[in-house]
Amino acid sequence: MDVTLLKITALFYLLAAGSFVIYLVLLRDFFSRLSTSLLLAGFLGHTAALAVHFFQPGGYSAAAQFREALSLYSWLMVAVYLLVQLKYRLTVLGSFIAPLAFLMSLGAFASGAGIGELPAGLKSYWLPVHVTLAFLGNSVFALAFGVSLMYLLQEYQLKNKKMSVLQKRFPSLEALDRFNYVFLVWGFPLMTLGIITGSLLARVQWGDYWSWDPRQITSAITWLLYGALLQARIAGGWRGRKVALLTIVGFAVVLGYFLWGGSVFPSRHRGTFE
Amino acid sequence: MREEKILIVGLNHDTAPVEVREKVAFDRTVLTESLRRLHSLPSVEEGVILSTCNRVEVVAASAREQSAFGEIRNFLAAQESVKGHSGLEGHLYEYSGDAAVRHLFRVAASLDSMVVGEPQVLGQLKEYYVAAHEAGTVGAILHRLFHRSFSVAKRVRTETGIGSGAVSVSSVAVDLAKQIFDRLDDKGVMLIGAGEMGDLVARHLQRDGVKSLMVTNRTFERAVELADQFRGTPVRFEDFHRYLTMADLVVGCTSSPEVLLQRETVEKVLKERKQKAMFFIDLGERRNFDPRINGLDNVYLYNIDDLKGVAEQNLQERSNEAQKAEDIVEEEVGGFLRWLDSLDQVPTIVALRQKVEEIRRGELEKSLATSLKGLSEKERQALEDMTSAIVSKILHAPITRLKQQPEDRDEALYIDALKKLFDLEEK
Repeated sequence: MDVTLLKITALFYLLAAGSFVIYLVLLRDFFSRLSTSLLLAGFLGHTAALAVHFFQPGGYSAAAQFREALSLYSWLMVAVYLLVQLKYRLTVLGSFIAPLAFLMSLGAFASGAGIGELPAGLKSYWLPVHVTLAFLGNSVFALAFGVSLMYLLQEYQLKNKKMSVLQKRFPSLEALDRFNYVFLVWGFPLMTLGIITGSLLARVQWGDYWSWDPRQITSAITWLLYGALLQARIAGGWRGRKVALLTIVGFAVVLGYFLWGGSVFPSRHRGTFE
Repeated sequence: MREEKILIVGLNHDTAPVEVREKVAFDRTVLTESLRRLHSLPSVEEGVILSTCNRVEVVAASAREQSAFGEIRNFLAAQESVKGHSGLEGHLYEYSGDAAVRHLFRVAASLDSMVVGEPQVLGQLKEYYVAAHEAGTVGAILHRLFHRSFSVAKRVRTETGIGSGAVSVSSVAVDLAKQIFDRLDDKGVMLIGAGEMGDLVARHLQRDGVKSLMVTNRTFERAVELADQFRGTPVRFEDFHRYLTMADLVVGCTSSPEVLLQRETVEKVLKERKQKAMFFIDLGERRNFDPRINGLDNVYLYNIDDLKGVAEQNLQERSNEAQKAEDIVEEEVGGFLRWLDSLDQVPTIVALRQKVEEIRRGELEKSLATSLKGLSEKERQALEDMTSAIVSKILHAPITRLKQQPEDRDEALYIDALKKLFDLEEK
């Protein structure tokens, strides 16, 4: 049942992605509204899929499996984007988020339908809190990644005096840079809380808050990176290209570990994402 | 009754130099009189005059194409002879039927403009249409034609990129500023030098609402003078480096042979500004700003050639979009002509005309055979003309009424009423 819903969700995300691309080309208000509506429809389907999944026996594991993690993560990412769209009308960003959401939800049903088994000790109420906070932080970073990518594209064009049709679609550099700041400011505390709840769980499960687990190490690295970036922005007056580049690097580390980390550095951490 | 045709006689920036256009141009203050004169021409049934700096055109509806063309040509020539003498020969173009409809649609959609896609022409067209409407020289056909042309223009504007992209140096500069900065109303501008181009860019930026403007010049008096004009702040040339931290946009337009701002200076300024972005616009013939400053982070430098390059590129894009616009125009011309044709095929109108014509002919023949038997050929002809004119005049109102609102819900009602009142039967 939840897989069928997930397929419908993926379809809507795909349609939304197509509509966003049409919006980029034609720049008509109609497609801005259509894209957002399609994404919202997908999101509602996704919500239903998650709810069904959550309430079936054992579904409580939330994100014990890669596919469950993908599904939950893309759901949160779309949720955050929809909120941003509501407040700032940043339709162009949707053309980065919608395809990403489509690929993730595709991956979520393409890699099996089972439910991850949880070790008895992990059935703590802290687990969903930890997973949600960590994912939420990373969703916000995904948006920061999107605007930073747009910033670099826009900046490249302006510096090199190569104009393209894309240019008129993008918000100004100043606006994109401000969005980068807003997303970092929101993402960082969420990530911090995710790590704190994570180490609480580690204490329960592994017996220690910190045990040099690869997952803990990569989390610490990205936390330090984003923290330093935020600090440089606020106190050091960093802005623009450098910040955009580092934001992208930070997200690449997170994403890279998410996709391949588990096989390269085996971890005791069950969920595949921070 | 013969079918009415749409005719256009005129000249534009392509066919006539400005000296000729000026002479033919219509004075706004006497436009109503000119319109009435146009309307009083024997073969002109409806007329609109369009007179801008790039074109002078007469749009008319007439049932007698050839004589109307002649009359309008003379009408325009008379206009010209008022102010001087040089023939319009070779400058005028004439369109009729679908060519005329196509021409007007192209004018409205700014496809016939000197700068393709410029938005002013539509407003002017509307203005002149309203003037003609108020002067009472517009009937059902031109009414429909002009309203159609307005919606064609709107369609072209929303469905193609013909009006997008700045095509002048100053508007390109402002466009770029808006791609760098989110808003201009909290930005400061420093204008260096008194060149004409710099003046233009500064004016444009001010119109777009920049917060403040500083002006500097080698001679301080000139700076004060310029600052007065712009309601800005004059800055001494020796000091202008110190004020750069307050400037987000720096416009250089001096003829100075040496570079006014070196990369090192800008680097220092940036540090003081906490890396807040700066946009340098170099309009000097010889470079005012060190080209290396474009290599600094958060700094964008465009010189006059870069700006011209962007304008050129936008112009190119516009002409690509123009092809799409031409397709839309073609489609709309087809639609309009179908409407025009359908008018004379409305069975009720045809039946009404026939019925009234039969009555006229019957009564005339009856009278000529009895009470008016002794009339001469000339008198008979005069009577024929007079009765025809009476019939046309009486029918004009109800028929135009039907033509005027072809989409009106009342149309069926009117047609029905007409059928009952005149006891018509469609054949």
